[in-house]
Amino acid sequence: MSSFLAAIDEPGRELPSTAPAPGATGAEFLLAALVREGVDTIFGLPGGANLPIYQYLPTFPLRHVLVRHEQGAAHMADGYARASGRVGVCMATSGPGALNLITGLATAHFDSVPVVAITGQVATATIGTDAFQESDVIGSCLSVTKHSYQVRDARDLSAVVAEAFHVARTGRPGAVLIDIPKDVQQQPVSVARGSTGRYRVHRAPAPPSSELVARAAAHLAAAERPVILAGRGVAVAGAQGALQQLAEACDAAVGNTLLGTGVFPTRHPLALGLVGFMGTGYCNQAVSDCDCLVMVGMRADDRVTCRLDAFAPRAEHIIHINIDPAELGKTVDADCQIVGDAKQTLEAIWEQMPPRPRPAWRATVDGWRQRHPLRHPHNGLLQPQEVLAACYERLGPDDITVADVGLNQMWAAAAWTGTEPGIFLNSGGQGTMGFALPAAIGAQAANRTRRVMSVCGEGGFMMTLQELATAVEADLPVKVVILNNRQLGMVRQFQDVFYAGVRSQIDHAVTPDFQMLAQAFGCHGEVVRSAAELGPAIDAAMAYPGPALLDCWIDPEANIYPIVPFGKGLADFVECPES
Amino acid sequence: MISQAGSFAGSDPIANGQFLNGSSPRVRLISVRVEDRAGVLQRITNCLARRGLHLASCAVGQGSEAGVLNLWLRVDPGTQPADQIVKQLNKLIDVVSVDDLTRSEPIEWAMALVEFRPNGRGDQIEETLRRVRAEVVHRDPERLIAALAGPPDLVQAMLDELSQLPIVDFVCSRPMALGSGYPVSASEPARHAQAGSE
Repeated sequence: MSSFLAAIDEPGRELPSTAPAPGATGAEFLLAALVREGVDTIFGLPGGANLPIYQYLPTFPLRHVLVRHEQGAAHMADGYARASGRVGVCMATSGPGALNLITGLATAHFDSVPVVAITGQVATATIGTDAFQESDVIGSCLSVTKHSYQVRDARDLSAVVAEAFHVARTGRPGAVLIDIPKDVQQQPVSVARGSTGRYRVHRAPAPPSSELVARAAAHLAAAERPVILAGRGVAVAGAQGALQQLAEACDAAVGNTLLGTGVFPTRHPLALGLVGFMGTGYCNQAVSDCDCLVMVGMRADDRVTCRLDAFAPRAEHIIHINIDPAELGKTVDADCQIVGDAKQTLEAIWEQMPPRPRPAWRATVDGWRQRHPLRHPHNGLLQPQEVLAACYERLGPDDITVADVGLNQMWAAAAWTGTEPGIFLNSGGQGTMGFALPAAIGAQAANRTRRVMSVCGEGGFMMTLQELATAVEADLPVKVVILNNRQLGMVRQFQDVFYAGVRSQIDHAVTPDFQMLAQAFGCHGEVVRSAAELGPAIDAAMAYPGPALLDCWIDPEANIYPIVPFGKGLADFVECPES
Repeated sequence: MISQAGSFAGSDPIANGQFLNGSSPRVRLISVRVEDRAGVLQRITNCLARRGLHLASCAVGQGSEAGVLNLWLRVDPGTQPADQIVKQLNKLIDVVSVDDLTRSEPIEWAMALVEFRPNGRGDQIEETLRRVRAEVVHRDPERLIAALAGPPDLVQAMLDELSQLPIVDFVCSRPMALGSGYPVSASEPARHAQAGSE
């Protein structure tokens, strides 16, 4: 093993000695290398081109979760990684198996989640002949992976696996693909090659520039109305303590991106909650009014900025901190752009910034909080906020919530009351419907002792619901809460508000009986139609030892508020009409 | 578009002067050193295409290190900030280094091969070739092939001169380049201190 690996391995980690004997096959070298990387769980589905790996799998200390669709495997590896901070691993055969991973890999990669996908490929000699179940998975995955490998010689497998894991988890994490032809899996190896012979090993950036850190500290020290926006990079770097310390030292109000949910305690007096398109009114107001804005561990995509030329218009200085230089200056043209690890950079700024309270700014922000509270209608129908509040009340501080995509995701994020990063998971960048159930299964596999709740709409749930069988079979007792509005709710809201009120193709006129469906899969299932039924139903679902499903029939017209109309700036957010 | 070749039927790329010069002012000359591995050009072109960075030309050659390819790209960033070219390419694991040579007064060199059908005008052709310092690299009764090399402007001027002759076909490489000083980042001076620190 080359020397850089010693540096990245977690200190004190005991690595099992699993070096295969000379003459062992490529498949055995692959599996041994996975064990050496600390992998304990693989989510996968066998098929023609990866059967040699499955032949040897039972002899290694690896738990395999058999999925029902490869997309589920990728989302499970993703959920495993988000919930544990370790690299998630998924496996598929060639052709359709490999291509089915793509949505899941894109979802993980867009959210900087370390996932390694291992695909079987047709035998080397038949590559390029349009052989049965051949697909150019490397080419197909180029823009949804950080890097990819096709291993043409089994002697390279050990080094490729080590490098792939290193690439997946260092710097800005991401998805990595290893494609292995079937004959390479079966190739006997006498001596493995120790290195991939790479010229430039992927590495994290150098410490942040001290000159820029000093400038950032001076800008913040001079500010009267400071705001910090924080993203998932803060969680990846373990920088939540540094963030809180810096915010408290200058009374900066702290908002978060959707992926940054949990990087700042939701009940902290400086917390602003979510920023952006469907952010809180007070957060969007604060960003629009601040004189100094710090963006840390986040991209600044269109869902965050809304109208770009109206983003933070009063900010005299924008400080943007990201470990990926390419995110700096890509959309928001910050005047102070710092390449660096979020923790190192925030701590360095804090050290140079004299603390000073800003009571006037705090009072202003508190005023916005009073004036623009999150609210929802009270019309006698079951409201999603009531369902979520009842669920969250019953979760412990370490329990995990996985949201799907759409209204359910925004409601779940807005109502969430946790204080830790890594326990509210969702697909932020890709917005992949169908993410929640398989990602929850992955998160449960990484944390057997915690409760994992998946919140979804009936639309997203029906995209990957076959994985209920996986959850039952693998004894992963996830709790599925369906906020069932019998329609594609967010699409309906967009049509109502932005597309002339033309409701087109949004009704789920035929929706299965989810209670019966859950029971058919061997899960506990229950329908909830009123607030009064909520508590007992949630308690029963939580008490059930296996996977459970609650089909909550919510107000079909329930919307997400506030919302910033397309083409408008953050300050133009529209609030829920008073009921 | 790695090279451009074709007869002179229809539009005349030599005469309209767009062949080696004439790029938009935003176009950057990027030098990339990249590991010589299977599929690496696909990674480069995909990285650019996916982000709307238009690859106007590409020359590929072997540099001083074994196993490392040198690429010279002309890239139009389109609506993206120009520094995205270097930053995005630099994220590719196979890329060893990326430099924006645009402002470093690079030494550029291009080559062309031009084929003539003499048809009794062989002497006139060879006289012109001598005058523009092109080298005759092939000669038979049916055809005559000349090689030109030099800075892109000079090669363009030579091609302009030769376009009066009975040319059958030509190919011209895009220029290779070596930076003549420190590579200058694509970003503004105030900013490039922290760019590309990896």
